[in-house]
Amino acid sequence: MSDAFLRLEGVHKSFGSLHVLRGIDLDVERGSVVCVLGPSGSGKSTLLRCLNLLEPPDEGRIYLEGKEITAGRGDIDFVRRRVGMVFQQFNLFPHKSALENVALAQQTVLGRPEPEAAEKARALLDRVGLGDKVDEFPERLSGGQQQRVAIARALAMEPHVMLFDEVTSALDPELVKEVLDVMRELAAEGMTMIVVTHEIGFARDVGDRVVFMDEGAIVEQGEPAQVLESPRQERTKRFLGLVLDH
Amino acid sequence: MSVFFHQFFSFDIISDNFTFVLEGFAQTLELSILSAILALAWGLVLALIRQLPGARLAPVRGVAIAYIDVFRGIPLLLVVLMISGGLPPVAEGLGLPRSIGIPNWLGKPDPFWYGAMALTITYGAYMAEVYRAGIEAVPRGQMEAARSLGMSHAQAMRHVIVPQAVRKVIPPLLNDFIALMKDTSLVGVIALIEVVEAGRTVQAESFNSSALTLGAVLFIVVTIPLARFVDRLLAGQQARYTRSGLATP
Repeated sequence: MSDAFLRLEGVHKSFGSLHVLRGIDLDVERGSVVCVLGPSGSGKSTLLRCLNLLEPPDEGRIYLEGKEITAGRGDIDFVRRRVGMVFQQFNLFPHKSALENVALAQQTVLGRPEPEAAEKARALLDRVGLGDKVDEFPERLSGGQQQRVAIARALAMEPHVMLFDEVTSALDPELVKEVLDVMRELAAEGMTMIVVTHEIGFARDVGDRVVFMDEGAIVEQGEPAQVLESPRQERTKRFLGLVLDH
Repeated sequence: MSVFFHQFFSFDIISDNFTFVLEGFAQTLELSILSAILALAWGLVLALIRQLPGARLAPVRGVAIAYIDVFRGIPLLLVVLMISGGLPPVAEGLGLPRSIGIPNWLGKPDPFWYGAMALTITYGAYMAEVYRAGIEAVPRGQMEAARSLGMSHAQAMRHVIVPQAVRKVIPPLLNDFIALMKDTSLVGVIALIEVVEAGRTVQAESFNSSALTLGAVLFIVVTIPLARFVDRLLAGQQARYTRSGLATP
């Protein structure tokens, strides 16, 4: 058992002969924002996908709110009710309007009646600044708007922790801010967040902790100021040098 | 030249047998539409079974795959003959009611129902493959997003994947419908008076093929507009892909 909100112990994951996660240990406190940095292919996305069991870990344990979720086949319902996820490619349902995207899982999973789900969807879309786009379909929305709908869609399930998988990487530069602003507000409201990102500025300003990953392992972690400004590890320095120089 | 015209375009033969051939065509249409509806449903069931997740369900998937392989690989005529000749004795041997072995439901003769069964069984397998292509064309992220929101595999299929897949496969499904409609003529072999069998009856009595020509015209009146409609749907899809900047499918 564990008293941490979210704890990973020795998590391994392989895809065939590719060993993607090589023993991840990590604690996340309730209400904290953990930013995960690292080069592509370092296993950041796989880490998030293990956390909500989209990819079940091969080895190791994950505890969520004190309950082991990797035991046996894992209690997928327990996990998915508590963990929301936002994807790099938005993955909005293209045949549904913004409102329906946010309302669908409320109705099918939580059994909320349609008017209640729609009302909640409206409120959430309003909160992410899309109150005037409720009836638009995804293809009529910009990338930034689509990603904000995706955040609202995840929030509608009232998750206890939100996973963000490079949510601004597919966006045009001028659209990044509107998505990060929504995430800042969420953090300010006390949402527990694990954010895989290349936005160093966001990690510095909003993160309570920064985790640097490379080759499937956590190389170093700590306060944002410490990891980003005076990294202890050579690999972290090299990576930050490359990211900050351009 | 006049021999040719008389053989295929005799006005007298056509006008004398017009009602008979038209009634045959009505039978063809009814059989086509009923079988298509059943095959659409059965094909979707097969495709969904084929997509069931998890190692435990591998045998169930295997059964669906074997079914599809078998019925795509054997001639429809063979299935028609096996059902029409095999169902009555099997039903009787199993002690089933006579109305199962020799069905005359809704006032339709038993060859109609044997034909509907054979077409559903065979075209269900074809359409399952079409649905599969559609389901696999829906990006993986759609299932992941649905699952990450807590939906079950079945809920994700029903609300997210299948609605998108079906839209993608309407043109190929309509093409299968055209093929199915033409294949109903094989049911004429077991004495269902559909349009081709009607024309053949006239031909046998009169040594003149004009009733078959009439049958051909009736087919074309339906199939050409349908084929054009499919072309337009495909062109529309193509345009949408091009506009959204994605690679053409």
